[in-house]
Parts: sequence; C-alpha cells; structure tokens
Amino acid sequence: MRFLRSHRTLATILVFVLAYVVIKVLSTVPLVGGQPLMNRYYVQLLALVGINIVMTVSLGMVNGFTGQFSIGHAGFMAVGAYTSALITTVWLHVGTSNPWVGYPVFVLAIIAGGVVAAGAGYLVGAPSLRLKGDYLAIVTLSANELIRTVIRVTPVLGGPRGLGGIPRFTNLEVIFVFTIVSVVLMRNYVFSSHGRSMKAVRDSEIAAEASGINTTQQKVLVFVFSAFFAGISGGVFAHLLQFIHPDNFSFVKSLEYLIYLYVGGSMSLSGAIVGPAIFTLLPELLRNLQQWRLVVYPLVLILTMIFRTEGIMGLKEFSFILIPQRQQKGADA
Amino acid sequence: MALLEIEHLTEFFGGLRAVSDFNIRLEHGEIVGLIGPNGAGKTTVFNVITGVYRPTQGTIVFDGRSIVGKKTHQITQLGIARTFQTIRLFSQSSVIDNIKIAYHFRMPYGNMDSFLHTRKYWEGERMVDDYAIDLLRIFHLDQQADNVSGSLPYGAQRRLEIARALATKPKLLILDEPAAGMNPAEADELMTMIRWLRDQFDLTILLIEHQMRVVMGVCERIKVMDFGETICEGVPEYVRNDPRVCEAYLGKGA
Repeated sequence: MRFLRSHRTLATILVFVLAYVVIKVLSTVPLVGGQPLMNRYYVQLLALVGINIVMTVSLGMVNGFTGQFSIGHAGFMAVGAYTSALITTVWLHVGTSNPWVGYPVFVLAIIAGGVVAAGAGYLVGAPSLRLKGDYLAIVTLSANELIRTVIRVTPVLGGPRGLGGIPRFTNLEVIFVFTIVSVVLMRNYVFSSHGRSMKAVRDSEIAAEASGINTTQQKVLVFVFSAFFAGISGGVFAHLLQFIHPDNFSFVKSLEYLIYLYVGGSMSLSGAIVGPAIFTLLPELLRNLQQWRLVVYPLVLILTMIFRTEGIMGLKEFSFILIPQRQQKGADA
Repeated sequence: MALLEIEHLTEFFGGLRAVSDFNIRLEHGEIVGLIGPNGAGKTTVFNVITGVYRPTQGTIVFDGRSIVGKKTHQITQLGIARTFQTIRLFSQSSVIDNIKIAYHFRMPYGNMDSFLHTRKYWEGERMVDDYAIDLLRIFHLDQQADNVSGSLPYGAQRRLEIARALATKPKLLILDEPAAGMNPAEADELMTMIRWLRDQFDLTILLIEHQMRVVMGVCERIKVMDFGETICEGVPEYVRNDPRVCEAYLGKGA
C-alpha cells in the first residue's frame, strides 16, 4: 500500500497502536487495590473526546475550510443518534450479550444514522447554500431546533422523556476505530482537489466559479458529508451514554462545537482536534471549580479571539496530519 | 466562423440601461480591446459573457454554441477564462494550489477517490503537480510555488491570476484591466507577454484597459463604449483620431 511507504505514516500508526495498548492495559488490568488505574469514567471521558473531535472536524469542513457558517451541527448529531438507537433498541432489541449479532447491527445502525443525517443535511443545505451570505446560519439554527422539537413530540423516540435502555456498544476499540477512520477520511478529503476547491470557495466564490468550479455543488457536497459524520458521531454517542434526550442536542450543544472549533483553529484540522480535546478534558482538571466552568469556557474563547484570532493552531497542522507532498522537482532549475 | 459572436446585447439593471445593442465578432487569434470612460459598461459586458449576469436581450454564441443562461463555471469549462479588475486570488492557498484549483474540473478522480486516496488520486495529483509547476515556470513563479499567494508582490499576483486563467485551458481569454497599477516598464513587459501568450497558447484575447499605451500597443482592433453604447470601432490609428472618442473621454469642446 502506498501510504505505508512513508516512514512518518508508519510511525503515526505505531503511536496510535501503542496508545491503544497502554490505555487498554490501564483500563483493564487491576493495579491498585483490585481496581484498574483508569476506571470506566475515564474511558467514557476519552470516548467523549473522540466523539467531540469527529464532530468538530466535520464542522470545520463546513465552517473553516469552506467558509460557510453552519450553527446547527448538533441537529445532525441528533438525527444520527436517534436513527441508530431506533434501529438497535426500539426495532431490533439487540444487546451486548451476543456481540456476534450485536456489533454488526450496531455498525449498520450508526452508518444508517449517518446516511439519514446526510439526507437531512441535503434538505437543509441544498436550498440555503445556493444563496450567499448568512442564510445558512439562520437555516441551520432553525433546522437544529426543528429537529429537536420533532423528536420531543414523537412518541416512538421517547418524546420529552428521552430514549433509554440503549445497549452500550461503544467501547474503547469502537472509539479508536471510529475517531481515527473518520478523521483520516476527512483529512484525505481536505488534502485533495475537492479540498482545494473548498478553500477556493472560502477565499473567493466569484473567482472559484470563474475557475470552473461548480461552487454550489461543492458546498452542498461538503455540507452533506459533514452531516454524515455528525450523524455517525451521534450514533456512537447514543451507544456510549445509553440514554439520549432531545435537549442533549439543543442549540447550546451546537454552540459548544463552534467554541471548540474556533478556539482550536477553524482553518486547521489539528486545531479541530486540539480544541475539543482541551475543552473535554479541561472541566476534569477544573473539577474543584465546578461552578466556574461556564465562566472559564467563554473566557478562553474571548482570550483566544483577542490574542490568537485564528485559533490555537492558526493555519498550522501537526506533521502527522499532512500528506507527503510532491518531490521537489526544482532540482534541475 | 467567429469564435465569439455577440449580437444586440442589452443589459438593464432595474431601469438603468448599462449596455445597449452591443455587437462584437471575435475571430480566432485576435487581440481586441474594449475601452471607454468609467461606467461605460465594459465590465458589465465581461460579466454578461462569463455568465455572472444574464443578458436582458441579445445572443451570445461561443464556438458555435449559445452560452446565454449558462452558469459561470459551465462557461469557463467551455473555454472562456477571465481575470478580474481587482485581483481575486485564493489568497490563503499557496501559489501552486491556485493553479491546481483551476485544474479541478478536469481532474480525473471523484469524491470517493478523495476520501480514500486511491491510486487514481495519486496519479491525478502527480499529473497536476507537474502541470502546475510547468505553468508556473513560464510565469517565473515556480520559486514561490509553496508560498501563500496573498503574500506575493502586486505584479506577481497579476501574473498568477493570468496563469490561473490559463490553467483552465481557455480558447478565449478576457482580461479586465491587466495593466492596472503597473508602471510603464511593467506595462511594456505585459504587452510582450500578451502577444506571446496568444501565439503560445493559441488564444483569442479580449481586454479592457485604461492605459492607452497598452491598448494602442497590443490591440489589433478596438471598440469604444460610452454610456452603454458603442461609439467607435476600428484599428488603433482610426480610433485614436476619432473626434467622438476624444469627446467621450474629455467632454465637448476639448
């Protein structure tokens, strides 16, 4: 395979495998007083980091790289979460007791969740992305609340009581595979001709059109892909918490992802990874300041906007994110 | 057969007639200038040709096909490329990416190849890398290939914009004030380049320009517009001596 030719890619894969092994050992092997060093709570925290990373990177595809302003990303997450939970819990009643049946159903269910979310993304994006300007922000905000309200009044989805009893399929392995595969796929897309077109739309839509790019189609495609990954994240999220409530996916949740993205750096994939990682782990470090958490969040955002307008990462990427570039051809010149 | 043929083109903006009864025939390989005072409707003509505006009336036939009602990107794909009055580069992308973006619609791989980085993706990328570097070398921009295009000096940005337009492999190149902001030496260089591009890339060129030195020096035919009307048309010597042209630029009695 071509990607193995680069030593850096190999090193990155090794690091991830090592990280997985270390975490797996720490979370299963009893070390102190018959308890593993990392209890279930920390594993769940790590899982949330993964989910938030995929959510933020997929939001960054639209907001950061394509320059459109979507502010209802949690709506698509809700679509994915409820679709997958509907399949595994309400219709098929699968459980974790028989993993050979459970996991294939789970994987198909979260993919179905992604596809339905992508469909919702198309319905929202296709009409509003034709227009230039702030329409998308208004439409996505409305769509987010619309989705939440529809779920609230649908009895089969648990209505305002929420939907419980979802089997906990999301374990450490699922989180590793889900996060890495999703981020790699989106990274690949950003580093491709389509990714360059996205940035062209962001920099100058008129010049992009004049360069032969179907800007409307490109914007709608990115939006649909972004909604797909948000849907998948929703599915993984639902099977982690085992209980979902419409208010989990309110506008406030969307706002959180916007904060993660813009603090991390909206025009950098690394930023969209750093942002959610910091903000998911930060409350743990500040556990003693529980009440002050909501003061710290906006404060960090304000400070970032003042001192690093482009986010923590700016336009930089970690080296493991980058694709091996073309060989310097200028040697003879 | 003419490459571009516009007949009875009229464009209204609400009640304002920006262009009225505009006609032009561009033969293959010509360099034609479009001049006139500010607000004469020159850029509107360009915007109508490239599909930014839809003509109120009139026909536009390019390469034997009507392009009225087509979208800008479709018209570019048919072979009309343009530059802008104020530079519009993809300023946060690198110099080489600006060229590659203009190659996108001919890229032989699709969305799934982009997600999975298949063999087709790598082949396409290798091809476009070589293509873009070769094109940049022509414009002496290959040394800056990996720099952010917004950081280039003004003259280089102008050159890059033309290079980007050429990357769409056009038959007709339309330049909106290519010499704007250039000193006489740079303008001379530009004139040489325009002629050379025409021969090298087998182009037909239509340009708007305010610097008379450039217009008179490079164009084989000139069309003069004022208040949306065509007031004079012909070879440079003829246009230069036409009293109506002097009047349009300087006013009556000048």
